[in-house]
Amino acid sequence: MRNDLDVSDDLSAVSARGLGRRFSLQWAVRDVTFVLPPRSVLLVVGPNASGKTTLLRLLATALRPTDGGGSVFGRDLVRDANAVRVLTAFVGTSAGAYDLLTVRENLAFAAAMRGRPDAPVATWLDRVGLTPVADDPVRVLSSGMKRRLALAQAWLAAPRLLLLDEPYGGLDRDGLALVAEMTEDTTRRGGSVVIATHEWERVMNAADALLALAAGRPVEVGPVAQLTAADLAAAAAGRR
Amino acid sequence: MNGILRAAAVARKDLRVEWRGRQTITATGMVALLMILLLGFVVGSEPARAAAILWVAMGFAAVLGIPRVTQGEVDQQALETLLLYPGSREHLYWGKCAALTVMLSALLIALLVLLGVLFGVDVWDHAGALVGVGVLGVVGLSAIGTLLAALVLHVRGRELLMPLLLLPLALPVVLGCVRLTEAILTGTAAGLWPAVLVSFDAVSVLVCPILFEVVMEEV
Repeated sequence: MRNDLDVSDDLSAVSARGLGRRFSLQWAVRDVTFVLPPRSVLLVVGPNASGKTTLLRLLATALRPTDGGGSVFGRDLVRDANAVRVLTAFVGTSAGAYDLLTVRENLAFAAAMRGRPDAPVATWLDRVGLTPVADDPVRVLSSGMKRRLALAQAWLAAPRLLLLDEPYGGLDRDGLALVAEMTEDTTRRGGSVVIATHEWERVMNAADALLALAAGRPVEVGPVAQLTAADLAAAAAGRR
Repeated sequence: MNGILRAAAVARKDLRVEWRGRQTITATGMVALLMILLLGFVVGSEPARAAAILWVAMGFAAVLGIPRVTQGEVDQQALETLLLYPGSREHLYWGKCAALTVMLSALLIALLVLLGVLFGVDVWDHAGALVGVGVLGVVGLSAIGTLLAALVLHVRGRELLMPLLLLPLALPVVLGCVRLTEAILTGTAAGLWPAVLVSFDAVSVLVCPILFEVVMEEV
């Protein structure tokens, strides 16, 4: 049931119930309710400042909800935040890597912090095309290579929920294929992927569901299959 | 076991970054050196005064170096990634505290050698006892410092706030270390200061990791 957001909470990969987050008096995200089944890809679209990144950070437990709640594979975002972190990997817009460490050292650090100190770092470097620069410090890498490193840091955790915030920035064709491969790999393992992006055309064929936000509120929630390209464009612009 | 490995990974990473950047060691080393030279010039270089000069220099160097414990993560935009790794945030505390302990220990050893050269203090004869006091002092400073580094992370004007918080809180450590070092160098009785220092360290080591977790709950 890949294109159905109405599965029960028990079967869900992600469940959000009136999820909201306020910064001072300003709501960044409000009244977001959806249920995402396992093996699904959710595309989150919306204009700038629509709350896409805040929503991903809420699901990653980087932020606590001000209102409502949610769960990831049955684990509550607030009460079981650590269990959610075990299941989740979040790739933000920055690489989250240390400039003075080499690519290999950064990846080994991520593996150790994920409780996988014996992870085959060399294999992961090869998989994301970073072997030639494995012993270079991160500060000399291009933004695309840094993005690949961020993807590898998340991927090696074999997450059940992968949260990607604007994952296509700076990536070449091979890098874009890497994001697609990572998405497929996660869903094949029974996990789900949430992708927030302005470049929705890149992922619309792989996405099962759409959540469009405007000014922090959902304006469209539903299966992608029922939407035309024009609907998607309007939703991404926050006009639905 | 997993927690120990995570803490070790954080400590190794922090020390590796510091070794390659040498930002904290350079800044704290320069401040400590200047303090020792300045205070030595002002109050004289008698061995009896060396204890106070040593630990005042350590205290001010720590004020400068401690914010770097977490500031590096903010500068690199790596803090959120670090906090989103699974596991207790106490492990991050222990890793960062261990790295800071190593850095402050290295600084203390260098200052002791400098003190021996400039003040004519017989450091080698009292090496064992001085190292013991040094361990108590450095552990106390690191335990409190790691917590405060997290506390002032997103505060504007943290450079001003850090001495205002650290110096009063670390006063028992600095005072205890001054009295104990003085007692060692002059051969007088230490009184209750060893007990004060040990108690302070024990409380810091027990309480600070818990508070660190609360402080780092959400950034």
